[in-house]
Amino acid sequence: MSALIQLKNVKKTYKRGKESITIFDGLNLTIEQGDFVAIMGPSGSGKTTLLNLLGGTDRSDSGEINFDGERIDGYNEGQLAGWRARSVGFIFQFYNLMPVLNAAQNVELPLMLTKLSAGKRRANVETALKIVGLWDRAKHRPKELSGGQQQRVAIARAIVSDPKFLLCDEPTGDLDRNTANDILGTLQQLNQEMGKTIVMVTHDPEAARFAKRTLHLDKGVFAEVTQ
Amino acid sequence: MTDFDLVWKNLFRKPLRTILLTVSIFMAFLIFGILTSLNVALDRASESGSASNRLVVSNKINFTQSMPYAYVNRVAAIPGVTAVTYQNWFGAYYQDQRTSRFVGFAVDPETYMAIFRDEARLTDAERQAFLTERTGVIVGKSLADRYGWKVGQTIPISSNIYSQANGRRSWDMKISGIFTGAKPTDPTTAIYFHYDYMNETITFERDQVGTITVVTASPDQNDQVAKAIDANFANSPAETSTVDEKTFSRAFLKQAGDLNFIVTMVVSAAFAAILMIVSTTLVSAMRERTKEIGVMKTLGFSSPRVLRMVLGEAVLLSSLGAVLGLGTSAFILTGLSKSPVGSSFGDLSMSPVVALSGLALAVSLGLVTGAIPALSALRMSIIEALNRG
Amino acid sequence: MSLLNQTGSVIAMNVRSIPQRLWMSLATVGSIALVVAVLLGFLALANGFNQTLKGSGAPDVAIALRDGSGSELNSVVSREQIDLLGQGPGVRAGPDGRPLISAELVLIVDGIKKSTATKANMPLRGIGPNGLLVRPQAKITQGRMFAPGSNEIVVGAGLLREFSGFELGKTLRFGAQTWKVVGVFEAPGTVFESELWADAPVIQSLFNRGSTFQTARVGLTSPAAMPAFVKYVKDEQRLQLKAQSEQTYFADQAERSGLLIKYFGWPLGIIMAIGALAGALNTMYASVSSRAAEIATLRVIGFSGFSAFIGTMVEALVLSALGALVGVAICAMGFNGLSASTLGAGFTQVAFRLQIGPDIITQAVTLALIIGLIGGIFPGLRASQQRPLLALAT
Ligand SMILES: Nc1ncnc2c1ncn2[C@@H]1O[C@H](COP(=O)(O)OP(=O)(O)O)[C@@H](O)[C@H]1O
Ligand SMILES: [Mg+2]
Repeated sequence: MSALIQLKNVKKTYKRGKESITIFDGLNLTIEQGDFVAIMGPSGSGKTTLLNLLGGTDRSDSGEINFDGERIDGYNEGQLAGWRARSVGFIFQFYNLMPVLNAAQNVELPLMLTKLSAGKRRANVETALKIVGLWDRAKHRPKELSGGQQQRVAIARAIVSDPKFLLCDEPTGDLDRNTANDILGTLQQLNQEMGKTIVMVTHDPEAARFAKRTLHLDKGVFAEVTQ
Repeated sequence: MTDFDLVWKNLFRKPLRTILLTVSIFMAFLIFGILTSLNVALDRASESGSASNRLVVSNKINFTQSMPYAYVNRVAAIPGVTAVTYQNWFGAYYQDQRTSRFVGFAVDPETYMAIFRDEARLTDAERQAFLTERTGVIVGKSLADRYGWKVGQTIPISSNIYSQANGRRSWDMKISGIFTGAKPTDPTTAIYFHYDYMNETITFERDQVGTITVVTASPDQNDQVAKAIDANFANSPAETSTVDEKTFSRAFLKQAGDLNFIVTMVVSAAFAAILMIVSTTLVSAMRERTKEIGVMKTLGFSSPRVLRMVLGEAVLLSSLGAVLGLGTSAFILTGLSKSPVGSSFGDLSMSPVVALSGLALAVSLGLVTGAIPALSALRMSIIEALNRG
Repeated sequence: MSLLNQTGSVIAMNVRSIPQRLWMSLATVGSIALVVAVLLGFLALANGFNQTLKGSGAPDVAIALRDGSGSELNSVVSREQIDLLGQGPGVRAGPDGRPLISAELVLIVDGIKKSTATKANMPLRGIGPNGLLVRPQAKITQGRMFAPGSNEIVVGAGLLREFSGFELGKTLRFGAQTWKVVGVFEAPGTVFESELWADAPVIQSLFNRGSTFQTARVGLTSPAAMPAFVKYVKDEQRLQLKAQSEQTYFADQAERSGLLIKYFGWPLGIIMAIGALAGALNTMYASVSSRAAEIATLRVIGFSGFSAFIGTMVEALVLSALGALVGVAICAMGFNGLSASTLGAGFTQVAFRLQIGPDIITQAVTLALIIGLIGGIFPGLRASQQRPLLALAT
């Protein structure tokens, strides 16, 4: 297996007024192609910050971030946006669907960043919604869907443009046990059957069990717990 | 789905809010469309029927003061003058002085029709009849329609200035023809009749003419000819002032008041008001959407693209209001053109220039009102946006 | 808590929350202010013009014109007719013991309107010694009165304000004659201030008017003498004139200027008001939705829907009242007393000042409050229908 993502000696600080808080200093992490990593850790330990660095939505102060053999920490904003559109799918705790769009349109959103034809887009949207089992709700607005259904639409949105890499920030944090397990099962399926590399932040040890391995983050340092 | 679909859907996220904003914008463009068109029509009215090689000679004291009839031939003899005619304002009205006044001039038919053949179009038969009938009058189509006049009919035309030796203040005139304008839209609310018929019967101001129209060999000679005419009558009891037709009618229209100024003030006030309303509402509408914008950026929408969408939404909103407002004002103007008051302005309908400048205004309004939310969307960092609300 | 107390505290909460929507609220105030300012501008324009016309007419001066002529310009009055007028009932005697009649004639000369730099019609009025006696408002304030029989002119202060060409000391040419401006007179708030005056006989001879005049102003012993005099003129077959009180004469002219307001000022004001109303509604709906949780909580505690309605209503009215205040202030400082001129009924320019009065302020403020009222009612109804439970759901 080859490394999909590699963090080398990454430093990240936040400035709050005059104070600066160091979140990571000399962080190293390698995630193989096809891995499913759960990241756990106490609140404030830097899990979301890590996801932001991995997804190119925030910048490190120093160190290297490699994706598929390419350094992305040197990308400018536009390059990062393009890279995210091609390579990363995002799943949030609160789904973050567009309320004015129906399920199919929400899923189609990332395809607006591609040059696919209308017909191809429709086909992709259909495939993605079918994977998450919501094709019959394609015309529903987020308001008309349950939390679990909304998260499924969000997963469909994340995979519709077929990125290699999925980032999930507490994807089941807002859902009940059964629904959570459904969602996690879907993620696992995406990992196993479609080879998606997944990094998932979670508080929930049950959820972590769906991953191939779990990393514990505490005070900016990893302790690996392999299953 | 295209960017436009997305912009459109966002625009109608809160339909009531969008409708209310559209109403605001609609009202401002209604005001713009109507007032600007009125202004343009007035400007055009002052130019309609004015040719670049025609001058108007009037008494220097004021154009309501007359000049001796002898001036006509003396003006005609001045080098550079190719044709002259003359006219007297009659203060014409039909039956009721308060409600049915119109433009009426006593003219010399032959020279008048030679110069104004395009502005007052007649058939050859009508022209011939007017030349030969001493009591003949030609009436504009609008007036003929308004009063139901027919060719051959004899009508009493009264003057609020002159009276006849027998005490009557109305003259019986026989309609020789009904004229139309050069363009179908030109105002045709005037009558012209024989100077001689009036001159022989009035009690005072006999053998005086009101204004003299001069045709010059070419517009470049206008200044020179005008100076020569005025020099010719310098130091006489009736000195003259000679200007081109356009200047003459402009000055006359400006007397009522500075419509330009009023229109500018009112339109600016209306736009200042909607600018405030729309931009503050858009700022607060965009603030509600901060998180969504963060999500779009996370998905890989570039900041410039997000900026374009936000600006596009504002421009779409203002264009929507503008198109409705301009359309409605065009409709109202068409109706107004048909009313008795409106018809004297001639063509009131919205000119392409007004429509286009309205649309340009709409786009700039959109850009200005969208600027603040668009810039904040551009600058917003993803983490900040996602952390909010 | 009584309904009154409830309502009071909800109003206080509403008004205190205005700063949270500061910019939208300011935009509402601003747009209402502009509506008020525009409407008030037009009303002040018409009001100023009307007041000037109305201020010009005296109730005890009759003006006689040729029967059927709408204005002085089209009228002719002969020496004989003037003598006959003097025999009418109730005519006051002048200082010389003869009937107080000012026989006048008007002709139009060119001046230059300062604001547009274009030619404009100025009335040059020929008057006699009685001219000043029938216009007690008029006073020479600079220079002196023209000397009888000379080519001298006095100019009204209003005309000087708006038009150029007639400054004190200036020499003018009308036809072959030269004239000199020897004095400036003031007749505040009247149309006469927009006139040039010279000696009537001089004008008659220099402008070939023979011995005819155009109007006669007849001083009566009292306003009560007017009807009898008017009737005398009407019934006297040899006169063929129409007399009316100067007051009525100018009031009729003022009536026509109402058209500007009726067909221009009010429609514009109303169109703008609808635009501003839409803005106000948006602001108030935003207010209600931003306080949905707060209102719902109050409802849970036991506040009535009515108090939520009144709270929203008062907020809207406060905003519109502020807008009205600002609009009136803009007008009072920006337009009030501003000098303007337009073509009057006599086909000559009338200079006047924009004038704000209590009645027109009331009209404009009423429009603003109507915006506030409607802008508050619908959002207020929404607030009053806010279900108590929603607070727990969000
Ligand atoms: N934008 C920011 N500005 C300043 N400090 C931040 C910012 N984002 C996160 N932090 C701080 O960084 C630390 C890690 O935050 P985060 O990655 O969100 O933690 P977690 O997701 O593990 O709960 C926290 O102490 C948090 O307060
Ligand atoms: Mg977190």
